[in-house]
Amino acid sequence: MRRGGPIREGLVLLCLAFLPALGETIYWRNQMSWSHPPVQDEITVAQARSLGGSILWVDARPAEEFAAGHIPGALLLNAEQWDSLLPVMLNAWIPGQKIIVYCGKQSCGASREVARRLRDEANLANVFVLEGGWEAWEESKK
Amino acid sequence: MKTSQVKSWIVGLLRLLVAATFLYAGVIKVTNPIRFSRDINNYHVLPWSVAVALAFYLPWLEIICGVALLLRRFYYGAVAILLILISLFIIASVSAKLRGIDVSCGCFGGPSRNLNFATHLALDAALLVAIAALWLIGRRMRLERA
Repeated sequence: MRRGGPIREGLVLLCLAFLPALGETIYWRNQMSWSHPPVQDEITVAQARSLGGSILWVDARPAEEFAAGHIPGALLLNAEQWDSLLPVMLNAWIPGQKIIVYCGKQSCGASREVARRLRDEANLANVFVLEGGWEAWEESKK
Repeated sequence: MKTSQVKSWIVGLLRLLVAATFLYAGVIKVTNPIRFSRDINNYHVLPWSVAVALAFYLPWLEIICGVALLLRRFYYGAVAILLILISLFIIASVSAKLRGIDVSCGCFGGPSRNLNFATHLALDAALLVAIAALWLIGRRMRLERA
């Protein structure tokens, strides 16, 4: 078979990728919205403060950022040290207590990932993500 | 060992590395399009519907290009697409960083989320260089053989 140039080959590959992508789109059709992002489980600093003391703060940032400063009482739990830190967090958690996970910046996915794993792997309910993360907390003190 | 043999080994090694990287990245994202849609949405560049469409399409494009590299079929088409993809990703990452957005949320699963921006950028740059080398060295070898 005579081979085409990079453009022609590229077009073939671009078209080939459509087929499985289409199949996956159909498979996920009832689980994803095309009009808006999934319902967020985010909570603002003001909302978190209004909950009083019944919160377990979870810091999903890297250990060095946690060491440099964190929300008072927060426990470190990030994906990197998940196996060693999760038991510590679970020991500190009181059943029924709300858990709020935060990370570095508004758009960072680390807190969302940790929150997901707490729900899926540790079977915890009432897990929220702090909107705006650590920066929003710092900003709220000004 | 002849220079051409050394070049051939280098190209072979780079080809396997690049193919494995994109296969891994593609498979990781194919399994969770919701998360990948959110990751794309985090760049605050595209509307949600486009982010969803890309979340379904791009991982398969990466996988197909990875397979093409492994099998050495549609080789230069795959290299060209991957070169464009990684370049766009680097531009989007730098642009997001300049706008104050944390893009530590990577495309290589959980572990990459804990890498800082500089490390991310260095890895992406290394990948860009590797793909560019595949293109340039491969072309030169083909010309030398012709």
